[in-house]
Amino acid sequence: MSWLNLDRRKAQLVAARDLRDAISELRLILAMVGLTIAIPLACAIGVRGLALYGGGTSVVNRLSVVGAFFVVFIPASFSLVLALESFVGERERTTLEVLISTPLKEAEIYAGKVAAVLAISLTLCYGGLAVYCLAVFPGLGYFPLDVLIALALSTICQVAAMVAGAVIISLNARTMRAANVMASFIILPMSVALQTEAALILLGRTEFLWGFAGLMLALAAILLRMGLNGFSREALLARDSGLHRPLQRAANALRASFQRRPGILRLLWWRRTALLVAAVGLPAGAAAGYVAGITGAIPAPVVRPALSTLIAAAGGGSQLDQALAIISHNLLAILLVAPLALITAGLSGFLLTFLPGFLLGFAASQSSWSIALTGIVPNGLVEIPVAIIAGGLALQIGAATIHMEASGGWTARVLAAGADYVRALRWLVPALIVAAVLEVRFG
Amino acid sequence: MLEVRSIAKRYGDVLALTDLTVDVGERSCLVLLGRNGAGKTTALRCMAGVLAPSAGTVRVDGIDAASEPAAVRARVGLMPELPGLYERMSARAYLDYFGAIYEMAPDVRKRRIDELLDLFELTDAGDRWLGTFSKGMRQKVALIRATLHRPRLVLADEPTSALDPDSARRAWAYLKDLQAHGCALVICTHNMEEAEHLGASDGGDAAIGIMSAGRALAIGNMSSLRARSGLPVRSEMRELPTLQDIYLAVISNHSGNHQHELAESRSA
Repeated sequence: MSWLNLDRRKAQLVAARDLRDAISELRLILAMVGLTIAIPLACAIGVRGLALYGGGTSVVNRLSVVGAFFVVFIPASFSLVLALESFVGERERTTLEVLISTPLKEAEIYAGKVAAVLAISLTLCYGGLAVYCLAVFPGLGYFPLDVLIALALSTICQVAAMVAGAVIISLNARTMRAANVMASFIILPMSVALQTEAALILLGRTEFLWGFAGLMLALAAILLRMGLNGFSREALLARDSGLHRPLQRAANALRASFQRRPGILRLLWWRRTALLVAAVGLPAGAAAGYVAGITGAIPAPVVRPALSTLIAAAGGGSQLDQALAIISHNLLAILLVAPLALITAGLSGFLLTFLPGFLLGFAASQSSWSIALTGIVPNGLVEIPVAIIAGGLALQIGAATIHMEASGGWTARVLAAGADYVRALRWLVPALIVAAVLEVRFG
Repeated sequence: MLEVRSIAKRYGDVLALTDLTVDVGERSCLVLLGRNGAGKTTALRCMAGVLAPSAGTVRVDGIDAASEPAAVRARVGLMPELPGLYERMSARAYLDYFGAIYEMAPDVRKRRIDELLDLFELTDAGDRWLGTFSKGMRQKVALIRATLHRPRLVLADEPTSALDPDSARRAWAYLKDLQAHGCALVICTHNMEEAEHLGASDGGDAAIGIMSAGRALAIGNMSSLRARSGLPVRSEMRELPTLQDIYLAVISNHSGNHQHELAESRSA
């Protein structure tokens, strides 16, 4: 399924019906009025009142931006409810079954429904933001256009991410009750993202907000693509069957994921692209760390504690104690990378090589490359390949997580990638022990 | 019109349908009988190009459902067991929406919607929200939706299960009319009387398929099924009229009188 063979007119038909349906609900109309007029005005009155009755300029300025964040945040979260209703609600009421029995392509139904939810949510967000801006900023002597644009962009992405997340839920939930429970998988990470955004707004660094908006854009693109690939007739109808004995099915799936997997050398050949990406992380990190160090983009006092912690991790005491400390530190890193890959789309796998590279490069910028490299030899000769293999396999887990197909099989693919990682540990853990011994004896 | 060759459908570990082969020609009818979970709905979905069979082929009007599913769905009218109507939409708007999806010209679909709403006595309710409709009215709307675009093949799952006998008779007459105009019918039902009646139509040539556990155990017309069953063939005397005949006569008399009274009151 792709956007290329999408008949826009048919997608518009679906979108228009969904829009009509949404605005025929009196409760929704009341919510719309409240979100776009009442709440923004209440926020604006608060900010203006503070400005009028002696709030300091910097406090009022910051608060005016936080108010804008608050005004768009509530309607943005509303989009999840709308999307769940549009996809899962229709599935529960069997209207989606009727729609998919027509000549409409999945992409047309998906695009139409997503467009309708986006249109309503963004109208609420931007309507509220416009009302708020008109009520707060005239006469205030402060208008942070760049912050507001970054906020508006990240809002589109947050809404799109939540809508796409709701589609993915709709493929796995047949009732609104189940969907509401599963929605916590979207609400929790999104609340972390929103708190981060709020912190960045309070920090007042626009470039960080743009970076955040960029991350949100990437997340929204990944989730929308997952939703598009997974939204299929087969997925919507076929999963109605065979859901009995869930624990036994889960155990069978887990067992199956370990069967017929390749040996370590064949696995490394199969995953060569992911391993290459992980391998590139090390020199890329080293270059980034070196540039950050010599340009002063990141002050040395920020990175030094991390370097000191790493050195301290080796601990004191006997050689055995040191070796155990190094092994446990490295083991923890490679054990955490795999589960984190599930929720970071494999980014943790890349960071497993990028971050040590960054610290190496930064250390080189503060001294020299020869001194910095001395710190990782000879143990690095073993640790670096281990990090590349673990990072590459974690990247593969992330890739499996964000890849959906119309024919299904998502769980089997993610489990197989996880099983590959677990099986590779049989080689990686002994290698880490060797590296620790090398570091203690010769490092 | 419909050629199904050895189709099977597997949902994970569950084999919902296996080795089904049927042919339904123009102006022909196939009735599928079977218990719940026998695979009838899965068979209909595969025939409609909604689900791709795990094995075998489905062709509708010569078009392969695997390679051109959208073209197959455009030629098919699928009426699922549950009507699946939008509660906050009027019947007219709902049918117009589906007419637009099937690319019917606006004037053509308006004419057809008016004609079918009138046929199923829904003209007065046409502008009411579907959420206010009774179960039977909903089923009528679902039948109109499935056949609005004059499909070449109608696949209906229990099309008259919620209808009163009069409306059911009207619905069957309508389906038979579609059949007479070249449409092929595949009907799933639990109602043996209806199935037998359908089987007796087309000069007794309509096919009946008996399904169980995803398999078609027997397919044939009424006389061949009788012969293959091994059961003794016997005739039965029935006292007529049946309760259904009486009911229909009473209802039609009442409607006739009511219409007459209405006409008189209007002229007065």
